[in-house]
Amino acid sequence: MSGSTVAPFRPGGVPRRGGRAPAGQGWAPWNQRLAPYLFVLPNMLIFGVFIIYPAINAFNVSRFDSRNGRTFTPVGARNYDRLFSDEDFWAAAWHTAVFVCCYVTLSVVVAIGLGILLNQRIRFRGFFRAVVFLPKLLSPVVVGLIFGWILDRRVGLLNNVLGAVGLPQPSWLTNGTLAMVCTVSAAIWLHVGFYTLIILAGLQGIDPTYYEAAQIDGATAAQRFRRITLPLLAPTTMVVLILSTIEGFQAFDFIYSLTGGGPVGATTLIVQYIYEHAFRSPVRYGLAAAGSVVLFCTIFALTLLNFWFGRRRESI
Amino acid sequence: MIVVSQRPPTVRPQRRWTGTSGRRPPTAGRVLTYAVLVVLAVVVLVPIVWLALSSFKTQSELAQRPPSLLPKSFGLSNYSGALSTFDFSVYLRNSVIVTSAATVLTLVLNSTAAYALAKYNFRGRNLLFLVTLGTIMIPLQVIFIPVYQVATQLGLVNSLWGLIIPPAATPTGVFLIRQYMLSIPDELIEAGRIDGAGEFRIFWRIVLPQCKAPLAVLTIFSVLWRWNDFLWPLIISQSQRTYTLPVALAQFASQEVVPFNYILAMSVVSMLPVIIVFLFMQRKVMQGIASTGLK
Repeated sequence: MSGSTVAPFRPGGVPRRGGRAPAGQGWAPWNQRLAPYLFVLPNMLIFGVFIIYPAINAFNVSRFDSRNGRTFTPVGARNYDRLFSDEDFWAAAWHTAVFVCCYVTLSVVVAIGLGILLNQRIRFRGFFRAVVFLPKLLSPVVVGLIFGWILDRRVGLLNNVLGAVGLPQPSWLTNGTLAMVCTVSAAIWLHVGFYTLIILAGLQGIDPTYYEAAQIDGATAAQRFRRITLPLLAPTTMVVLILSTIEGFQAFDFIYSLTGGGPVGATTLIVQYIYEHAFRSPVRYGLAAAGSVVLFCTIFALTLLNFWFGRRRESI
Repeated sequence: MIVVSQRPPTVRPQRRWTGTSGRRPPTAGRVLTYAVLVVLAVVVLVPIVWLALSSFKTQSELAQRPPSLLPKSFGLSNYSGALSTFDFSVYLRNSVIVTSAATVLTLVLNSTAAYALAKYNFRGRNLLFLVTLGTIMIPLQVIFIPVYQVATQLGLVNSLWGLIIPPAATPTGVFLIRQYMLSIPDELIEAGRIDGAGEFRIFWRIVLPQCKAPLAVLTIFSVLWRWNDFLWPLIISQSQRTYTLPVALAQFASQEVVPFNYILAMSVVSMLPVIIVFLFMQRKVMQGIASTGLK
């Protein structure tokens, strides 16, 4: 910053190395040294109390069990034994895996497709972009509610339309497989606009001269997509992949109101499993606490894995 | 974005690979593009429009097969009925209070923290910044049990404070404003000091007025987050007195205690402010999200 030996008057008021200089040389008035701590304090206090302490405490909490949510008894690792021998847990884990796989794949594919469409010079582009993004702003739980009503077997809009054109009218939400299809579709409906926006930003960052050069060399549209768009979009795709994975594992609110986890647990994902064991009677608190630690570790590991694969692919 | 002058002269003076001027006959690809986009718009808009239309229907109209497109009348009886006979006015009020109070709190907490992280050198600054980034990676869904325990110990369960305070410090907001504040010249702050302004006064009168853009984006984000919040309010409000609108809708719809025409009307109410914000500030919302990669 400055070559002089005397510490210059700095905007921060404090010597550069965070107060290491002896008092009286390059020091700032006490109020300038104290001010930053007062400025960050309220925010960091809430972080500490409501995010960091609970996150650190999560494992500790999972060593206790409770039948009523008020009195807790230490049980050591027994919660994990119970969790891993609980059939419902494995069912929820399996449904989560299926949901996340479908959701992430569809998110990436649909977002890239829509991103490319919306990046073209078309009429009403602003309108279409806004339409794609609109669902992201709505309350997911209300959207789940509305979808549940539209998909209703008898009075639902969808089946009435299907009936009017002579197609079969399945009972969407009482068949396990169909209910999962509906859940994934609702998730895509809700969130894909956000991913499309990220992809659009990535597409706009690609230098158009690449396409011009390819055009001159006679590359087809498919070749341009495979050889230019996809490789140059890879970092952005990676972001969408990571975000949609995390989002997929957290899915809860719209499912709660769309299927309620049913039929017979066919769409109960892991977050709902945790919620119900912690807050619904019969309370099986230990299972919930152990379940959230497992979820935490899974998301963390998958994010690392995603990063790692992303790195490796870029280096090749 | 696209530098026209760099285009080689051999290429037609139209950006053929990105679109047409509309004067040429449409190619199959363009027809397909528009077809997909129209289908897309239908898929997105039909549920919303269908909800809006149906929110005026009576119970018997809702049970009708096949359903009629338009309601018999556009009277507001569903809306007034839900607000008066069921306590939806309370839930609506709770939602408004929580959203506005939490947003004000978010703006204050996040901008002060961002200012310290952007414009002061102090011991522990880098650590605190890393902590802020780290907390983005910890979603509520994985830690809500220990968070709930903390809230219980602090007596925040079943109180509106419990809905306002814990989510108010957002790492996203700190990050967003800090990045913007880095671009504010230090000389401005220095000048304030020379003129004898106190530290808080400099922040309030000099720095904050420069940050209208990120504050506006954060306001929009915060309103959307708090208005649509579900998991945390569901956990914290165990008595109906503190239900917010989404919690009340989800709980009453699944228990089938409230007639469905009322549920539909209140669903419209829950979507209305968001759609209004979107119509007026769509560009700002989408730019904010695209520029930060956050939501």
